Amino acid sequence: MKVPQILGLLSGDGSRPLRQQLAITLAVVFTASILVAVLLLDQLFAWQARGLIDQRSGFFMDSMLAVREYTSKDVNPIVAPLNEGPGVFRPEAVPSYSATSVFEYLKQAKPDYKQYSYREAALNPTNLKDKADTFETSIIQSFREAPSTGSLTGEKVTPLGRFHYVARPIKISKDSCLVCHSTPERAPRSQLLAYGDSNGYGWQLNEVVGAQIVTVPQDAVLKAKRQSLLTTALLLALVFVVVGLAANSVLNRLILRPMRQISQKAEEASVTPASVSFDEKSRADEIGLLARSFERMKQSLAISMQMLKDRQKP
Amino acid sequence: MILLALVLGACGFSPGSSSALCGPTGVLRVGLLAPSEGSTSTAQSFSDAELQALKSLLLQASRCDVVLEPLNSVDRARTSLSERRWDLAFLPPGLTAYAMGSSAGYTSVRSLGSSRRSRSAILVRESSHYHSLQDLQQARIGLLPRGSLTGFYLPLYNLHGLNLARVSYALNHAALLAMLDHAEVEAIAWDEALPPPSLAVRRLHVDAHVLPLGAMVLSGSLTSSDYIAFLRALDANAAQMPTGLGYAAGVLPEQQAIQPLKAIVESVEAWQLPLDGQPYRVYGAKAAG
Repeated sequence: MKVPQILGLLSGDGSRPLRQQLAITLAVVFTASILVAVLLLDQLFAWQARGLIDQRSGFFMDSMLAVREYTSKDVNPIVAPLNEGPGVFRPEAVPSYSATSVFEYLKQAKPDYKQYSYREAALNPTNLKDKADTFETSIIQSFREAPSTGSLTGEKVTPLGRFHYVARPIKISKDSCLVCHSTPERAPRSQLLAYGDSNGYGWQLNEVVGAQIVTVPQDAVLKAKRQSLLTTALLLALVFVVVGLAANSVLNRLILRPMRQISQKAEEASVTPASVSFDEKSRADEIGLLARSFERMKQSLAISMQMLKDRQKP
Repeated sequence: MILLALVLGACGFSPGSSSALCGPTGVLRVGLLAPSEGSTSTAQSFSDAELQALKSLLLQASRCDVVLEPLNSVDRARTSLSERRWDLAFLPPGLTAYAMGSSAGYTSVRSLGSSRRSRSAILVRESSHYHSLQDLQQARIGLLPRGSLTGFYLPLYNLHGLNLARVSYALNHAALLAMLDHAEVEAIAWDEALPPPSLAVRRLHVDAHVLPLGAMVLSGSLTSSDYIAFLRALDANAAQMPTGLGYAAGVLPEQQAIQPLKAIVESVEAWQLPLDGQPYRVYGAKAAG
């Protein structure tokens, strides 16, 4: 189909009934509108989905900070003395242990959170499970180089796919932390037996030692975006269908039906003008204008026919 | 075609995604200890690069996110095994025996470590007046933490019936030797596979059991899944494993050698066990060893 034909199809070249022409024009306009809207909304929803995940990640980290604070203030004073005794080391006294444990419970309780992972990675942790990998080390180094940085977000690629991450620094702000992390001599004996004396020491006050990192599979971001986009596109399509049907009905009632009636009366008037009355002439709109024109034409025709008859009389 | 691609995309179609081998938590939790007991710590046995490579290999073989937990303490590892916190673990012999017990329910699938003819011994200073195990009545003893065969289960099993004045723990045999040297204890647990100690010592007792090698074990939830492809992937890439781990591709652990030790571990575990720095009476039902 050539461009003039397409333009003719859209603007109406008189080759189709008006109702069909309107349906075609509206369908094309609405489809184009939906496509443009979907493209724009795709960007908007991606931004919103990331925002939501960042917000949720921030909430997780704030919650975990609260858990750390609670452990530090309320649990540690009760449990830490047990670690000075002959029993096994109780990690429940350690803020990072309680934070990661609470997060695991949270994931078990709410399947929605299963896709989130929470790490408290450190460059020199007591528990080697928390040892920062290459990616985590680069984040911690960024925080160490720019201590005023509050948080970092971005993407990382692993063999399992792309992940979105949000990270915040872990800074040693309390002298009490150094009991377990300054020197092996200062640490409880049970801690030495549990974790050894080679790692987790030499921390300094106000030093950034690690980072809280929440990661979410990028698929989760895309899935959230796709769901929003699909719902919105369906709603738009539904609204456009309703608008199309309403426009068609209004066109039929306001224009097409009166025009068909006027057309029928005009045909009758061409034979017997006296028997026809264009009642639509009382309307104030364009249909009324057309009816009045036909009424004048009918009267002129009636006069002409009468004159013709009068001339034919002997 | 486009529509089909969109539909498949919307359904999250991803070829091969069903073959991931994960634990019940959705990740693969892996415990890692040095394969020999009480010689070097896990942190010293494996470099950061080796740990990264191991994690990466496990991730590729399992297609599941990996949480790797290297531990220095066999006692903490024992707790993790008893609470089934690991889906897979690389263990020294004592913990392998513990993990295969009925309470933990793990299955050993690959042999670890190198042949070193480990045997548990009890050492005293050359100059000491102790000449038999019975002489250690009211003595102070140095042991490795709970979970070690050479340093905990076998020594306690052999000291059955004695009242000990104090039991002290150290993370490795070198630290135990230092305790003996500083006269903090009168006897210590020892592994005969280690190089001869620099201190002048005497062997008070050498256990008859030759220890098998360590093993890679899988939890019940993994063995109930299809883990063969995972093992094949590990075997095919065994060269990427840390050399200190001694992963033997395709080699099954010696089940016959581990059985009597498993019985000893289970019987000692049933006893009330000693606390660090406290007196202890070695008492409880013994398995037929």
